[in-house]
Amino acid sequence: MASVSSESGETLSLNIMPMLDVFSILILFLLMSFSTDPVSHDITAGLELPESISIRSLDENPLITITKKDIRVGDLIVTGLENGDVIESNRTQGAIAPLFKELEKLAEANRVRKDLPVDLEGPQKDALTVEMDQSLSFKLLKRVMLTAQQAEFVAFKLMVNKANDG
Amino acid sequence: MKRKRKRSSIEVGAVELNVMPFIDVFSLLTTFLLFSAVFIQIGVLEVQIPFLSNAKPPDFQKPERVLEVKADVSKEFIEISSSWTVAPIDEKKKQFPRNKAGIAEAHRELLSIRTAHPDIDKLTMYSEDDITYKELAEVLDAIKFLAPGETLPPPKDPSAMKNGESQPSLFPKVIMGSVML
Repeated sequence: MASVSSESGETLSLNIMPMLDVFSILILFLLMSFSTDPVSHDITAGLELPESISIRSLDENPLITITKKDIRVGDLIVTGLENGDVIESNRTQGAIAPLFKELEKLAEANRVRKDLPVDLEGPQKDALTVEMDQSLSFKLLKRVMLTAQQAEFVAFKLMVNKANDG
Repeated sequence: MKRKRKRSSIEVGAVELNVMPFIDVFSLLTTFLLFSAVFIQIGVLEVQIPFLSNAKPPDFQKPERVLEVKADVSKEFIEISSSWTVAPIDEKKKQFPRNKAGIAEAHRELLSIRTAHPDIDKLTMYSEDDITYKELAEVLDAIKFLAPGETLPPPKDPSAMKNGESQPSLFPKVIMGSVML
């Protein structure tokens, strides 16, 4: 119990036990929900992920973000979107030209990495992680996948929210 | 006796525990945990797309008889079909409405296929363009994962068993067949 003496000499005591109780419960809750996932990722602002029962966690693959406004590789915006599709000037044979250029660079980096000793525990080298708004259509995802295929990426990890009851 | 008397004569004042350092540690720990807490858990659904391979071509003289399982997803229906690559093809098709109950029915159909053929772990999925990512994720959940309490018989080929898989899978390999040049 913490105590303070007032001017009149009277000792005022503050009961801090309830505060300690609250702190203990809060710490217990935070420790329980502490993420042990190897990779943490902040969801892009304005983007909503669908829920899934998957318990597979993220790993360090290159990230393609598809928001309602644009497509990004990492933090770089490669193309804008119009009415839920890629702007026409950036489309070529169903694929997305600026995205292909960026993925080519990643594929080149992967080719260099493939010469290094194989890390069995490491992320799949020809895989991409896709973070996409749940309201966007498969047509757009198909364009992204088709572009990735041309750049030799054939495996995808579609980002989802882990359902609480999953 | 003398000693005893001395001891009892010492007045024991009220002992107060200084909890301030304890509160300091708690405050810092709470601040750190609040900053590093991840309240939304992110997962992934793994899919593949068809690709050209430089692997040895299949022996067309002695083609292997394999069961192919497909799922066609449209706004209204999910069609589950299975057929053998070599005669007798024995094609089977079943259609389910694409709602919660229909997806559950489709999952049960896939479970029965997988139970009858434990070595088949690949499914090719075809989707219409207007399906949203949310709808796609719902169907992928039904295709990829087993519900709690569901089990599969072990595969005939023991090498096909994956060790260390954290989540029981129904069809772990999903190929997005619509993504073709």
